Amino acid sequence: MTTPNGKSAAADASASAALRAKTEVARLISYIVFGLGSVYLSIRAGELPTSRWEPLGAGSFPKLVFAVLAVLCLIASVRAVIDIRKAGQLDGLAHAFGQWVKARRISFAMFGLLVVYLLALPVAGFSLATFVFLLITQLLIAGISKKTLIQSIIAALIFSVGLNILFAEVFNVFLPRGVLFAA
Amino acid sequence: MLDAFISGAHQVFAFDTLIYMLIGSIAGIVAAAIPGFTVTMAIILTLPLTFAMDPLQGVSVMLSVYVGGYTGGLISAALLGIPGTPSSVATTFDAYPMARGGEPGRALSLGVWSSFFGTVISTIVLIVAAPPLALLAVKLGPWEYFSLIVFALTIVASLVGNSLMRGLIAGVIGLGLATIGPDPMMGRPRLTFDSDLLMPGLPFLVVLIGIFAISQLMSEVEDHGKGKGSDALIPDVIEFKTWAVMREVLMRPVNLVRSSLIGVFIGALPGAGGSIANLLAYDQAKRGSKKPEEFGKGTPDGVIASEAGNSATAGGGLIPMIALGIPGSAVDAILMAALMVHGISVGPRLIMDNADLAYGMFVAMVVASLMMLVVCVLSMRLFLRVTDIPKQFIVPTVMICCVIGAFALNNRVTDLYLLGAIGLVGYGLKSLDYPLAPLVLGVILGPIAETNLRRALMSDADWTVFFTRPISAVLLAAALLSVIFSVRSVLKMRKKDRPATDEQDGD
Repeated sequence: MTTPNGKSAAADASASAALRAKTEVARLISYIVFGLGSVYLSIRAGELPTSRWEPLGAGSFPKLVFAVLAVLCLIASVRAVIDIRKAGQLDGLAHAFGQWVKARRISFAMFGLLVVYLLALPVAGFSLATFVFLLITQLLIAGISKKTLIQSIIAALIFSVGLNILFAEVFNVFLPRGVLFAA
Repeated sequence: MLDAFISGAHQVFAFDTLIYMLIGSIAGIVAAAIPGFTVTMAIILTLPLTFAMDPLQGVSVMLSVYVGGYTGGLISAALLGIPGTPSSVATTFDAYPMARGGEPGRALSLGVWSSFFGTVISTIVLIVAAPPLALLAVKLGPWEYFSLIVFALTIVASLVGNSLMRGLIAGVIGLGLATIGPDPMMGRPRLTFDSDLLMPGLPFLVVLIGIFAISQLMSEVEDHGKGKGSDALIPDVIEFKTWAVMREVLMRPVNLVRSSLIGVFIGALPGAGGSIANLLAYDQAKRGSKKPEEFGKGTPDGVIASEAGNSATAGGGLIPMIALGIPGSAVDAILMAALMVHGISVGPRLIMDNADLAYGMFVAMVVASLMMLVVCVLSMRLFLRVTDIPKQFIVPTVMICCVIGAFALNNRVTDLYLLGAIGLVGYGLKSLDYPLAPLVLGVILGPIAETNLRRALMSDADWTVFFTRPISAVLLAAALLSVIFSVRSVLKMRKKDRPATDEQDGD
């Protein structure tokens, strides 16, 4: 452990243990969310009326499934708490979360665009909404320059108008035309 | 049986089916050659295109994408050292050193021929094994069927991913998601909260696209700017030596057959797919080799084992799907869903009620592997260029295709909102290292499990029957054992890793 290599390895190991503890916190939160959700759903499923024709009604299976899920989440939470206490090193949790989000900023931006796109689809129609979505996402990923702008416009045109025609003509799948163009 | 075989072959050999299959083969190879684009995603995107086709035609096209996809991953694995799909990780161990050592053509040809023979061997096993298994399965009562599904889910949870617990949670979440909407026996709405969105239930394909494709696309654009892939180092002149290599592959029959059989077996286990078979076949070839020290340095045996192994899972995975109605992998679940979209009920009676379809699928497997071979031999050079397409074109375009796929299923705009929500949940689960395959299998197996459980208790309200009927008891015991074994191996690993601070967990 006296060699420089050994030291850096030890530092790496403790850094990775800290990272693991933080990931474990995120997982613990997910276990708790799923656990509470499943308890609620299990209760709701139990309120469904029983059947006169069979021992198990409509509610029994979901009740069983969500109860099992709740138990699994409870066990997982307990184990996660033990792991976190062992590892310690929870300082800088907010910072780590910030880093996590930062590394995924494009993913979330893209998802935000997807939501807007899905909401706009019935209104603006497939071709227009898709063109705008493709153009913005492509530039978001590649960065804006003259070259990427031209490339993106061409690609967006092909895959918005082109896909619409392909699906309508070849596969008989009619994509939303949009309220704007419905008349 | 012969009638059904001929009728199935007749449908597969129709001109338009062959053309569609050819396009499917090419699409599968191209898709899998792109790093970050999995075979599963390629099949998901093919699905909406097959709605307008006949059932057998549609499934044949999807099978050719499947078979092509297992080979396409080889291209970037051999030439760039990046597995194009998770199922070609072990392929990089030897194919890449061989390509860097000046024999890229030989590495690719070896992989293509091994994939071809692997698929053919697995199809033969499928043809021999599926019909008798189905005959046996028809005799199973609802008790056995329910226990079989419990067993399948525990196997999936223990084989996939890094944590048994999260695997189980994912599987049970899948079962839970499947209970939303009308109940499978009486149609009574459940857990819909009077929302129009949830009233029809969560369509399986929307869940599938959201969980697998949207989450994968979102993680593709993470960490942007860091670790840009090295420039493609593809030499201009590649000598493929096709026929010499074919002989080279056939000169290693033990390795070829062993790796293929490993692939078939792994493929037939629910949830364990190409990625496990690829590594396991490689490992076994290394253990069985007289010169294990050559592995990892570009030995042909390594390439043959890894590629025959992953391709053979294609036929293996179809065994439980055709014979039992239990999909062996996420891809088989999609195939099963495709048949269900066409109104064909998948289960042990498939081979009896729709014999031409089942036998047609066998024929389609062989045709698809032949096509893959021809396409690869003739135009591998072109596919090498695919790996150069930048992400900004692929990711958004594929996302659009996902949206179309989810919409085309029912022509329902509300499905798209579900897609968005499920995609976000899938991305969250993926980021927290939950395995996604158990969830998807849970969704498709949930209604089958519930129907059988309720049928079982309707004919006899006594729960202990599950333990007193021998086959059911054996299956439940096997389920318990699979959990115990994987808990034990996790505990063992923890003990071993403790002094050396385990770093590999959590990625």
